[in-house]
Amino acid sequence: MKKALVTGITGQDGSYLAELLLSKGYEVHGLIRRASTFNTQRIEHLYRDPHANGETVRFFLHYGDLANTGNLVDLIYSIHPDEVYHLAAQSHVRVSFDLPEYTGDVTGLGTIRILEAIRKSGGETRFYQASSSEMFGAAKPPQNEQTPFEPQSPYAAAKLYSYWSARNYRQGYKLFATNGILFNHESPRRGETFVTRKITRALAAILAGKQKKLYLGNLDAKRDWGYAPDYVVAMWMMLQQEKPDDFVIGTGESHSVREFLDEAFGYVNLDWHAYVEIDQRYYRPNEVDYLLADASRARQALNWEPRIYFKDLVRIMVDADLELAGMSSPGEGRKLLETHHGSWHRWEHQVVSMDGNRAA
Amino acid sequence: MKALIFGIDGQDGSYLAELLLARGYQVAGWVPDQIPFSQSNLASIVDRIDLIHGDLSSQESVNNCLEETRPDEIYNLAAPSFPAGSWESTVLVGDIAGLGVARILEAMRQIVPQSHFYQASSSEIFGSPIQSPQNECTPFHPRNPYGIAKLYAHWITVRYREFYGLFTTSGILYNHESPRRGYQFVTRKISKRAVEIKLGLADTLKLGDLDARRDWGYAGDYVEAMWLMMRAPVPDTYVIGTGIPHSVREFCELAFTCLNLDYRDYVVRDPELVRPPEQAQLTADSGKARRELGWQPKVSFDELVRIMVLSDYKAINGAPYQNTE
Repeated sequence: MKKALVTGITGQDGSYLAELLLSKGYEVHGLIRRASTFNTQRIEHLYRDPHANGETVRFFLHYGDLANTGNLVDLIYSIHPDEVYHLAAQSHVRVSFDLPEYTGDVTGLGTIRILEAIRKSGGETRFYQASSSEMFGAAKPPQNEQTPFEPQSPYAAAKLYSYWSARNYRQGYKLFATNGILFNHESPRRGETFVTRKITRALAAILAGKQKKLYLGNLDAKRDWGYAPDYVVAMWMMLQQEKPDDFVIGTGESHSVREFLDEAFGYVNLDWHAYVEIDQRYYRPNEVDYLLADASRARQALNWEPRIYFKDLVRIMVDADLELAGMSSPGEGRKLLETHHGSWHRWEHQVVSMDGNRAA
Repeated sequence: MKALIFGIDGQDGSYLAELLLARGYQVAGWVPDQIPFSQSNLASIVDRIDLIHGDLSSQESVNNCLEETRPDEIYNLAAPSFPAGSWESTVLVGDIAGLGVARILEAMRQIVPQSHFYQASSSEIFGSPIQSPQNECTPFHPRNPYGIAKLYAHWITVRYREFYGLFTTSGILYNHESPRRGYQFVTRKISKRAVEIKLGLADTLKLGDLDARRDWGYAGDYVEAMWLMMRAPVPDTYVIGTGIPHSVREFCELAFTCLNLDYRDYVVRDPELVRPPEQAQLTADSGKARRELGWQPKVSFDELVRIMVLSDYKAINGAPYQNTE
């Protein structure tokens, strides 16, 4: 039985990845932060009380801190994982402008601490680094593995730090270290401060009569938006290759925030212009204008394809947020998911597990 | 004018302090708490500078340092500066050479937003470059933990300029040497060993690839570039180098010839010191600095080698070299 350690397991990607790995028979270990509030809503349905009778426990949570080298070395020694998926980060771009040092420590140095721990424990463990399309910043679209990086935020600079560290350890120490350069990927489990989820939640609240206005920043920013469960499949595929490499993952379609509004409000026959107001405070100091993935390397080498594209993604997110708000949904998203995805990824877990956890 | 230099006891810090003192600055220098600082570089000026002990891995310590000094200009030259050694302490290198810069910039933004900031970036951020020569538009390709940390620091410096309108400059400096260069660097290793051989204190000099080429300049010229960047009309990024690469072999030839020796009689190739070859040569295109700052290197390669060898001779022998042969 393979063992995997996932950092950031309580986040959107971590929770989907844990589901995928458990369905493949992995023993899954998750790293969680000590926090005064319980932050495990996305993985509660996976966790079985170790004292319960008769349940096989293959899912373990460990307290850990990316700011503490000794703690990470101990964990990797004791778990001895075959694969480490490093997804933990201070992942909010706007927040990184207020907390640059913290972002650099967790999102940048945290990666080196894990790579060092793997190296010191013998170096057999395979390592996945969650790199981000934000590293491309102002680079001309479409972006692929050869595109030079132009990070626009402290978050992107810290992610780039981690990207190069993974490459360095691959070349210098021959570790199996892979970068997945993932473009935006969303889901009903997306943190509520991210624009897609902010829109679908507000839409549900508007329909429920609980909210009248939705305040947003730049509507013209264009992103390549995919569906998070498709992307965790790509992560897993990358660590099953013969050799470590870097892969861009995205749908190859780019849409503006405005188009997201069109699609989401149109799906329930509303006109967003009546609800949306622009608030300059939500503009980022350095806005990244246009991200568009050229994922041809991943398509060829990994045989990876997204199953869900933009329109379907919007439908899934709107359906889930409507159900969460206790309303009936048009149900197209739900149906898509039931027909397009494997059994590891279940609709009911979309709706029950998604609330309460804000973006780190 | 008041200047604060992080890393004042290093090669560049000490030359810069001398330059600023000569131009009438009040100079404060930051040195790390834990490690004993290099007194020899500061010997001639130690009475004229204020030394502050602090910890770049602590935001509070950096804040205190800026509160205390309230400088008009901040030069950040602090970093564990031997790239090849950075593999042994990747986290520490990142904490000081990378995050340390984020801490200084945060402190500057909150305490002295009007001051000017210089970040010592390095040609190591080009690392194994994809084209040659390199200028301010060349994509970065760092190849060791030092280069990666320096690249992070460079981006943070550039973005603070844009986000917050701070006067932050980044100087991408190519190799620059002097009699104050650390012994782990190949130039100083050669100059010192050549002198030891001349004086009968050693027999051989072990080196890696003699044909490896570097863009070597004189550190004294490069601190002048730092100072010029701080008074440019707008803060910017500049590549600083001579633009003329020379091989390790040429350095050896000149160094030994200074002492009337033939390097071929003493130099031994050590395969363990050979580094993997670069895709393209690290060579500076400093056109922008020459045009906009009016900067150019004054000390030639031949003079640089001579300065280093004669200085080492005097230090080891106690008296200057007399060319009587």
